[in-house]
Amino acid sequence: MTQFVQNLVDGLGQGSIYALLALGLTLIFGVMHLVNFAHGELITVSSYAAYALASRGTGWGVIAIAVIVASVLTAVAIEFLAFRWVRGASEFTMLLTSFGVHFVVAALFVMYVSPRPRNIPKPEWIFDTVRIGGVAFEVVDLVTIAVTLVTLVATGRVLRRTMFGIALRAAAEDFDAARIMGVRSNLVIRGAFALSGVLAGVAGVFWLMRTGTASPTAGLTPLLFGVIAAIVGGLGSLGGAILGGMALGLVQVFFRSWLPPDLAGLTEGLLFVLIALLFIVRPQGFVTVRRAERA
Amino acid sequence: MRREPLERLLVPTGEAAALFAILVVGGLLYTMSGGSARDTLVSQMFINAIVVVGMQVYIGNTGILSFGHIGFAAIAGYAVAIAAIDPLFKRLFIPEAPFGLATVHLDPLTATVVAVLLVALVAFLIGLGLVRSGARAGAVAPTMITLALLFLVYEAARNFTDLTGGDRSGLSFGPGNSLEGRGWIYVALGLSILAARLFRETRAGRLAQAAREDDLAARASGIDPAPPQMIALLLSVVLVAIGASLRVQLLGSMTPNFFFFSYTLLTLAMLVVGGRKSVTGALLGVVVITAGSEATRYLASDAVSVPGFDWLLKEGLSDLFLGGAMLGFMILRPDGLLGDRELGDGLLLRLRSAQPTPEPPEAPVASGAASTLTVRGLSVQFGGFLAVHDVSLQVRTGEVVGLIGPNGAGKTTLLNAITGVVPVTDGTVALNGEDLTRRATHRIARAGVARTFQNFRLFPSLPLREHVDVPAIVAERHRHARGRDARALLVAGDLWDARERRARELDTGTARRLELSRAAALSPDFLLLDEPTTGMNEAESAAMIEHVRRIARAVGAGVLVIDHDLHFITNVCDRIFVLDQGRLIADGTPEEVRADPQVREAYLGSAADRSR
Repeated sequence: MTQFVQNLVDGLGQGSIYALLALGLTLIFGVMHLVNFAHGELITVSSYAAYALASRGTGWGVIAIAVIVASVLTAVAIEFLAFRWVRGASEFTMLLTSFGVHFVVAALFVMYVSPRPRNIPKPEWIFDTVRIGGVAFEVVDLVTIAVTLVTLVATGRVLRRTMFGIALRAAAEDFDAARIMGVRSNLVIRGAFALSGVLAGVAGVFWLMRTGTASPTAGLTPLLFGVIAAIVGGLGSLGGAILGGMALGLVQVFFRSWLPPDLAGLTEGLLFVLIALLFIVRPQGFVTVRRAERA
Repeated sequence: MRREPLERLLVPTGEAAALFAILVVGGLLYTMSGGSARDTLVSQMFINAIVVVGMQVYIGNTGILSFGHIGFAAIAGYAVAIAAIDPLFKRLFIPEAPFGLATVHLDPLTATVVAVLLVALVAFLIGLGLVRSGARAGAVAPTMITLALLFLVYEAARNFTDLTGGDRSGLSFGPGNSLEGRGWIYVALGLSILAARLFRETRAGRLAQAAREDDLAARASGIDPAPPQMIALLLSVVLVAIGASLRVQLLGSMTPNFFFFSYTLLTLAMLVVGGRKSVTGALLGVVVITAGSEATRYLASDAVSVPGFDWLLKEGLSDLFLGGAMLGFMILRPDGLLGDRELGDGLLLRLRSAQPTPEPPEAPVASGAASTLTVRGLSVQFGGFLAVHDVSLQVRTGEVVGLIGPNGAGKTTLLNAITGVVPVTDGTVALNGEDLTRRATHRIARAGVARTFQNFRLFPSLPLREHVDVPAIVAERHRHARGRDARALLVAGDLWDARERRARELDTGTARRLELSRAAALSPDFLLLDEPTTGMNEAESAAMIEHVRRIARAVGAGVLVIDHDLHFITNVCDRIFVLDQGRLIADGTPEEVRADPQVREAYLGSAADRSR
């Protein structure tokens, strides 16, 4: 039972990161019909920002802010440099564009920093645990969950109460109709990227705290889980993305704790089997094709 | 369907031979002056060409983006390595391989055959999954399933160390056991190019390409995209597996990273830079990317120093080139350097432009039994909204029936429900008493109900000729329409002279005529036309009336036509149904309907200012 509760919190902590990434991916899918494989670059770039500051001895409070800022700037820059030019292109073109962005960013860090991973010192409290009712929880999980909750509530407010949020949701619902109603597509798309940058930044802070690594492909693993979570949750559905992320984190943690030790390395492999099966068994439930066929 | 041995067999075969010859001669010229490093480079390029041409067969023809082809390559690579490595060496890496594989020793050719069969089996299972997931051009699910395969194979290879040697040791052929000479590479390269090029001309290849261009339009033309896509997948992975087997033997070893992300990037970049839709394009991409990455690798090496450019010429430059090439082409030229052009297109065009004009279609000999399309009590509900409510109507062959009503009356929804594009909530659709309700769109089309679309849907990058040929292929198999010349429908639509142009180049009026001819090429019993005159001026509308009549007569079909243009409807129709807010409110001859007070209020009242 104790083990179960621990796994639960651990899974929700992991899942929070995926949920934040998935939410950003879903927002972008809503306005552009793009599954953004370059979303991981926000974490890659942030990881080097964190590394640069950490190696000067800066504390994690400042690093966290820098990570979020770096993530937002990267998101907006990628939109400006790459995605705005393929707006309305086929899904094929957009997917490969995001793929190309991923490889270009990775190559730039190989060229101008190093192909080798760099170490970011983790905060001292990362391994601390607190005991609540006889169960030991890792502080980092609790903090992740708490901050994610706050971020999600704030995002919900932005989406529901502000003009920008309403425009964004309208655009995600039906982009053409929203445009006719006076929503400015440029602003909405740029805003969606910026907002997804904030979310990925928050996720990145906790991801980097846990991994303590900056590398040219630092964003790849979180990206994959974020994409999977977004799709499991039904691309385009905001609540679904959050649920998908949490579910994925839980499955991952429980897999790892249930599998015999010599197979624990297969956790990711088994997750991929699961994902592929999900797609095959219930594709319509996991990928919402929003563009109703207008015959 | 026409048999065109010259255009569809001889010229493509010659083209494949020419492509092969160009590659081989180019490769030999390049290696003549260099040492063994150049030999290896050229061998690798040929092998990459096999893999990329293999990917072209699936990705290029179906438009479905697969990230998993390199996963299939990895399976083949391991199969060959495990089967063909001498047990003496294998013992060093995987002494405890399961199923007695540690002692298996096949010759390279047999091992390759085993690998190919294994990969084909896996691909068949994955292919079933892809079909189940509703794979179509641009869909996300197939991309994710194939990506999952890539990662799954990678993770499995890293973790099942008893079988694969994992990350650390990998698997290694002993000295002298790897590929001798280039003989097999030439054989495989030549056959791959030929197979990929000819596939584009096969039935499956042409149907897959039509579905790539527009999935819904293909289904409405009676095409079920799943079988051609499965055939494309199988041929595709067979070629990829052959390439992967050769690659492993050339390199003499196998590790999980051989076939993973960076090889996926390399091969995908090769595929899209030259033009994924043609074999010539794929090969051009292989050459361009190989040259580019070699050049960048050379420039980035320590051997070269260009003053002032040190900041650029460093490790990682060739990856930047690959990523940049992919990104740049997607933004500036998403169809690659060649688009879908092949080497011999000029020759083919000349051959085809010399074809004699077919006779305009004659009305078919009265086929005795007239057909009837019957809609009874049809309702369509979207959530809480009842778009079509309890509609019954009947159309017989030989007559032209109009369906009018104000915007949002449910006309298009009714058409979509009849053709299986949106689900029917209640009621039945029957053709000569045969129930068609809830059948798949392509089955309804094959049963004899063809249609056009409100915002016309063509196959944008296919020539006009192919728009009537493809449904004719379907008609020949499923509609017993042997011997009828579908291309005569191009003549009837005033499209013959433009037959080699691409559909995306057409203006609205021509596009709508082409869509009408395409629907008619299915030899249907019924043509359902959704606003064929939208966006046309008066003269074009008048001409369209003639076309609809002529084509309907030519194939002996009954017509149900939706339109806003009252002039058009009253001129072309024998009977008219009026739909308002999902319900049928009137029907009769044009005069009767015009006189109906309910119709005046619902439709004419609101449209009076619109109809000139």
